[in-house]
Amino acid sequence: MICPFCSLLCDADDLNQVCCRRRESSLVEVTKMRSWHGSSILDSESVSNAINALRSATRILVTGRISSVQTARAAVAFAAKYNATIDCAEGGHAFKNILAIQRSGLNSVSLAEARDHSDVLIVVGDDQLLAKVPRIPSALANEKSVKQTVLLLGDFSEASMSIWREAGFDVWFVPCEMNAVPTALAQWSRWSDSNRDSLSAAGPLFEKLAQARYTTVLWSAENLQIENADLWVERMLQWIATRNENTRCAALAWSSLDGTFQQVCTWLTGFPGRIAFLARTPEYDPCRFSYQEWLAKKPTTDKRKSVLVVIDETASATPFFKVSDLPTDTQVIEVTANSKTFPTAIAGVEIAADIFRADQTLLARVEPSIEPRSYAKSAPHWLEALSRW
Amino acid sequence: MVTRLYGAVCIDGVRKTEVRDLFLEGEMIRSELATRTRIDSEYKLDNHIVVSGGIDLHTHIGGGKVNIARLLLPDLVNHRNPNSDRMAAEQPWLKPLSSPVPGTWETGRRYLEIGYTACFEPALLPANARHSHAEMADTPWLDTGGYLLLGNDRLLLEWIRDGVPQEQINAYVGWMVHAHQCCAVKVVNAGGIDAFKFNQRHLSVDDSHVHLGITPRQILNALSQAVDSLQLAHPLHVHCSNLGLAGNIAATMATIDAVEGRRLHLTHAQFHCYGKDGPHGYSSAARELADRVNADPNLSIDVGQVQFGQTVTLSGDTMHQFANRKLARPRKAIFQDLECQAGCGVLPFRYRQDQYVHGLLWSIGLELFLRIEDPQHVFLTTDHPNGAPFTSYPHLIRLLMDYDYRMSIFSRLHPDVQKSSPLPSLTREYSLEEIIKMTRLGPAKALGLNNRGSLCDGKLADIVVYESCENPEQMFSQPKMVFRRGQLVYRDGVFLADSIKSTIVSSVEIEPQMDAMLKKIWRTRYGYSTEMISVRTGELQSERRIVEEN
Repeated sequence: MICPFCSLLCDADDLNQVCCRRRESSLVEVTKMRSWHGSSILDSESVSNAINALRSATRILVTGRISSVQTARAAVAFAAKYNATIDCAEGGHAFKNILAIQRSGLNSVSLAEARDHSDVLIVVGDDQLLAKVPRIPSALANEKSVKQTVLLLGDFSEASMSIWREAGFDVWFVPCEMNAVPTALAQWSRWSDSNRDSLSAAGPLFEKLAQARYTTVLWSAENLQIENADLWVERMLQWIATRNENTRCAALAWSSLDGTFQQVCTWLTGFPGRIAFLARTPEYDPCRFSYQEWLAKKPTTDKRKSVLVVIDETASATPFFKVSDLPTDTQVIEVTANSKTFPTAIAGVEIAADIFRADQTLLARVEPSIEPRSYAKSAPHWLEALSRW
Repeated sequence: MVTRLYGAVCIDGVRKTEVRDLFLEGEMIRSELATRTRIDSEYKLDNHIVVSGGIDLHTHIGGGKVNIARLLLPDLVNHRNPNSDRMAAEQPWLKPLSSPVPGTWETGRRYLEIGYTACFEPALLPANARHSHAEMADTPWLDTGGYLLLGNDRLLLEWIRDGVPQEQINAYVGWMVHAHQCCAVKVVNAGGIDAFKFNQRHLSVDDSHVHLGITPRQILNALSQAVDSLQLAHPLHVHCSNLGLAGNIAATMATIDAVEGRRLHLTHAQFHCYGKDGPHGYSSAARELADRVNADPNLSIDVGQVQFGQTVTLSGDTMHQFANRKLARPRKAIFQDLECQAGCGVLPFRYRQDQYVHGLLWSIGLELFLRIEDPQHVFLTTDHPNGAPFTSYPHLIRLLMDYDYRMSIFSRLHPDVQKSSPLPSLTREYSLEEIIKMTRLGPAKALGLNNRGSLCDGKLADIVVYESCENPEQMFSQPKMVFRRGQLVYRDGVFLADSIKSTIVSSVEIEPQMDAMLKKIWRTRYGYSTEMISVRTGELQSERRIVEEN
């Protein structure tokens, strides 16, 4: 199944089976069912109050952590209905890749293809990559007789390296600053192109890289904590594109659960998230329509009424914004997995849901393995209820 | 609910074209009603024609490559002034798409606006099956179906290399079609997508895959046998080798030979019938292909007509999309290698009428239409969006029905096209009956949609009413009414109601042994179980969506 916690395919037969430490800790969070800060609005009067707030609002943002196709559909339809702005809360990570792709294009590979076919992996990042997706080394390791090579670039500990080793890889590590990686790779390419005859003298790693039949370059957008990360991604994509003139090389740009939202929003409207509906027609602007930009707006003097609609169907305990950061004229409507606000069951844990894998290739149906709370309904149920007027 | 349409000329290519009454009873067409049946609504339609809903058997409307094209090209979207250019001002019925690959809401709306009610996604990657179905479910008003992309799945290629019995391949194809809820099988550049993953940059029908040592001929032969053995309604749907290359007619003919007389559909054939002659080493071989189609009842094509303007090409044929990367306008492209099953290449492209090759492609497409005698063996497509957006169909129909108009466009092409093309000598003008056969009856037959395609008693009441007009482009651009399952959903530019949608699938029995074998292989090769990717019939069904078998 696709794990609703890390968005990786999982061989575990049910969600109660703990296959990695991220899932283990997430399941603990699910059972706690943390509360948001909102007030209790579970009755029909609350729905009616929320609708009134939406109808009188002049400025609406729909945001949150949306991980299923069903909720993404409902959220986009809801935003269209209310001429709202919509941006996934984790869109900041996704757009590091999306902005670069929209400027320069992409050569990419999916997980199973890389697993079956790639002989050299270049993994860029730090230990956080494995904290977020602990099983990625085993998911990429094939069972062929020739060992795959992995070159770790960035800041990896011995513990991370041993995880790759245990998965069966021949591991090499070159510590370096993330910012320096694209330049270093370009320099290496130039050097190896002009020193084809003396590659073996440069050492076995250089030789392996130069002779790679199919190189996969892996990074996680969530793990790219650098300034202007989209420009970094663009330089990486350009290096990969150049490599393909003579050999095969592709990016495996790992996303997160918001990949599902980005896909659904794109097929419904023609654009990835970060759109605003004007007379139900979507307008796309990845800078202007980010949720951070919306939240950063100062209160206005013309008494404009702002409503923030927060949808959260994940098991994450960490809120993605502070109430104190909100503009003072903002009302909040929460459709989240807790018992205080409109309580939604958690997609992939309590309700069946369609979720994209983080490389956005394979969509799988995740069947529930935990009984939903008796009072919890799915997020689409509440969004549809709030759209009826 | 019973509706009577009267006074209109009924055209379906089956019965005589004449004025007659048509009754829509529930979801069905009735030529007569039982006595005392109450008629709920009547429409007097003098000076109108009535036809069944259009069927597009090859249009890219759902799945990974379509969505990745949308993601790549927000800069080509123009929601605000779709009618702002001069041409549109002169021809107010023209309503361009907001983008070459609009969202599903717009796609469904615009197809209905030109009278189409069923569309088929021709390249559904197994790993994207659930995604594609979900996307097509969000495309309103249209019945949909998908052709499963095989012939570059490494498992199948290895089995062909290993010489497994044909029965095993048949069972595998049946399992795949069933598991992914498809209604046909498509091959794109047989073996070529996989070969490109091994850095092979060219693979013609009798060349060997650099890693596996097998040829496209073997793959085509094995798959065509499987499709016939499974008795799928639609023949093997083939995107040939050597897409777009000068002289590729040889590979196209070799592809036809490879299936040894079995049923075969060649898709976007225009891109696969080029010679090497002519002033720039690029010429038309349309006559050769048309002659072959005219002589072979088991062979059909859709054209993939090019129209001038901006579009985006998207294809599973990564090998040839990559080869064209420097032609991208704007200059960016996406190439993906996917799940040991296939790939995809997305390349924005601008066809220019003053460019020799582009003009030649335009004229070759029309040549194919005009040379193939039976309109039920050649289908009207632009391979949306590869040759042009589907909204150009009314314009294409006018080109086929009006010689003078055709020549007026031809006279604007590159002088070398005008010198070398035989198009001026082809004076045929399609009749309305032929257009209707090509866009309704023919595709319905080719896909085994026995309840669609004509106005006969008992067919589904997907009906389009056009006001008669001398200019067929104008007429086909703005239906007066559209009925879906007997319900009026569109009238005079206003959308009145949503409608039930069908997903068309092929009924295939799966063999338990194959099921067990693939479960094991999937886990070791792909790292996940077959249960996870199999799409169940129940998932496709919802309140307004049903599953039909072809």
